[in-house]
Amino acid sequence: MTTHENVQTFTPVSEKKARLALQIWLVTRRSLVTILRTPEALLPPIAISIFFLVIYQSTLGRAAGFIPQIGGSYLGFILPLSIVSSSLSGAGIAAQNMVRDIERGYFNKLLLTPVSRGALLLGPILAGAVILGLQASIVVGVGLLMGLQPVTGLPGLLVVIGLAILLGTGFSGFTVSAALGSGSAAATQGASFIFFPMTFLAPTFVPLELLDGWLKTAARINPITYVLEAMRAMMNTGWDAALLSQAVLACLILAAAMYALAVYALRVRTRRS
Amino acid sequence: MISNREIVVENLVKRYANDVVAVDDVSFEVQAGQVFGFLGPNGAGKSTTIKILTTLALPTSGRARVGGYDVISEAQQVRRIAGVALQEIGIDPLMKAMELLTLQGQLFGASRKQAEARAHELLELVRLTDALDRRVGTYSGGMRRRLDLALGLVHEPEILFLDEPTTGLDPASRRDVWEEVRRLNRRLGMTIFLTTQYLEEADELADVVAIIDDGKIVSEGAPAKLKAAVGNESINLAFETMQMADKAIRELDGIGANIQSDRETVRVYMKQAAQAVPTVVNRLQQAGLDPISLTLTQPTLDDVFLQVTGQRLEPRESSTAPVA
Repeated sequence: MTTHENVQTFTPVSEKKARLALQIWLVTRRSLVTILRTPEALLPPIAISIFFLVIYQSTLGRAAGFIPQIGGSYLGFILPLSIVSSSLSGAGIAAQNMVRDIERGYFNKLLLTPVSRGALLLGPILAGAVILGLQASIVVGVGLLMGLQPVTGLPGLLVVIGLAILLGTGFSGFTVSAALGSGSAAATQGASFIFFPMTFLAPTFVPLELLDGWLKTAARINPITYVLEAMRAMMNTGWDAALLSQAVLACLILAAAMYALAVYALRVRTRRS
Repeated sequence: MISNREIVVENLVKRYANDVVAVDDVSFEVQAGQVFGFLGPNGAGKSTTIKILTTLALPTSGRARVGGYDVISEAQQVRRIAGVALQEIGIDPLMKAMELLTLQGQLFGASRKQAEARAHELLELVRLTDALDRRVGTYSGGMRRRLDLALGLVHEPEILFLDEPTTGLDPASRRDVWEEVRRLNRRLGMTIFLTTQYLEEADELADVVAIIDDGKIVSEGAPAKLKAAVGNESINLAFETMQMADKAIRELDGIGANIQSDRETVRVYMKQAAQAVPTVVNRLQQAGLDPISLTLTQPTLDDVFLQVTGQRLEPRESSTAPVA
């Protein structure tokens, strides 16, 4: 049997990187196109986030004076919760995109190309991140309409949106893993319900210092806690390098762990199917 | 990209987690430029074999080389030289044919311009040029299958895998696919590995047929050879009256291996029926017998399948028709 290894031309590393970047771009753009062709799937997460923002503000806004350590307006305190919950529900978008491809058999078509497996995972996740950014911007926009006056101004708001994207992208890795593991839309949908309790195992309605016992412990290992605190600081008290770097670090750890999980899920999938 | 256009499979096994053995120690070789038919009922292990050979699934044990490349350790090379159209059509209904084909080409490393040119070529080939700017979701079943096939041809593969390419197609579309398969094989010298549950299809297209049942290859060879091995052909004669038929039986005594009659028809069984036709006609003429018709019957792959597996491949109508 002849060997063909020597036939292949040597490819410099920088060219390989350029090719990977192109592949990621191609797959991401394609995911984005199909996500935008089903706009009806994008509205509910936003609508729900805005609904709760209005409800919290109207029912709790006046009582806020009784909660110590908010350090500013109640809207500035509660808006991050809405942004985070829109990030979490938005995290399902990447997975829905992928599970659609799996169910339609199109994912196999992509697997049959020599494209990098990493690009196939990152495509829907990055497309989801773009949508997350849009959703977070809309929620922030509604906050501004309701009278939000962030102390860090526009730069602060951009950082808040950036954090929302980062957090949602990490969770996208989780839902994408569920999509790869189950191959079913219903199971993937089910997996994202885990985010709902996670939103409340955090300083959701009162500052972290006021939490007690097990809830405080749970909140301390929940990345959402750090994101909420950093966002609130930027809304109400000002730039806080320590809080911000904690939040970014928490998001990066989450994203790295979830990406590793997705890589593993893809590997199991190709072995089994 | 250079390949030897051969497929070599050695002791391939695929065992699933639930202990189901889908492919059970399968070995075969496909020569360059051959059309190889993998014939078997649903669940025989055909699709699993294709998924392993095209790098979509890993085998539990055994080895396979496609075009000279190992499907496990040289998966990237296999993907470059192998084209695939799976049984489950893999297209995104939200996208347009042009978008799907161009993207596929680019993912195989073509520039945008090259990919678009190739896409136009392929749309022409599968006769979808009129529908290139429509979302694929609006396509008919036959159109989808043709587009799916085109997607498998984007990178000009040297070995093409077709998993039940005509299942669910109407007879006209089925003949179109057959013609296309022959064209790809003859004009481009493509090696074609095709699975099917239709005997007619294997007979029509394949140079070599392997019959797979319950994960195992139970018989393999050229269709004609397989049919010859199963036994006798027959000369069938029909007469106007039963008396004439009876007389014919006496006259033809000793010609074939066996003679049977059923009312006005007579069947003479033998190895090579066509060669015996002149003798039969002579004897009948000498006896003054004039048959209404004379036909030849050859064993079908169905007979082969029946002999090697003990069951018929295609369910008889009587067994599937509802009891009304």
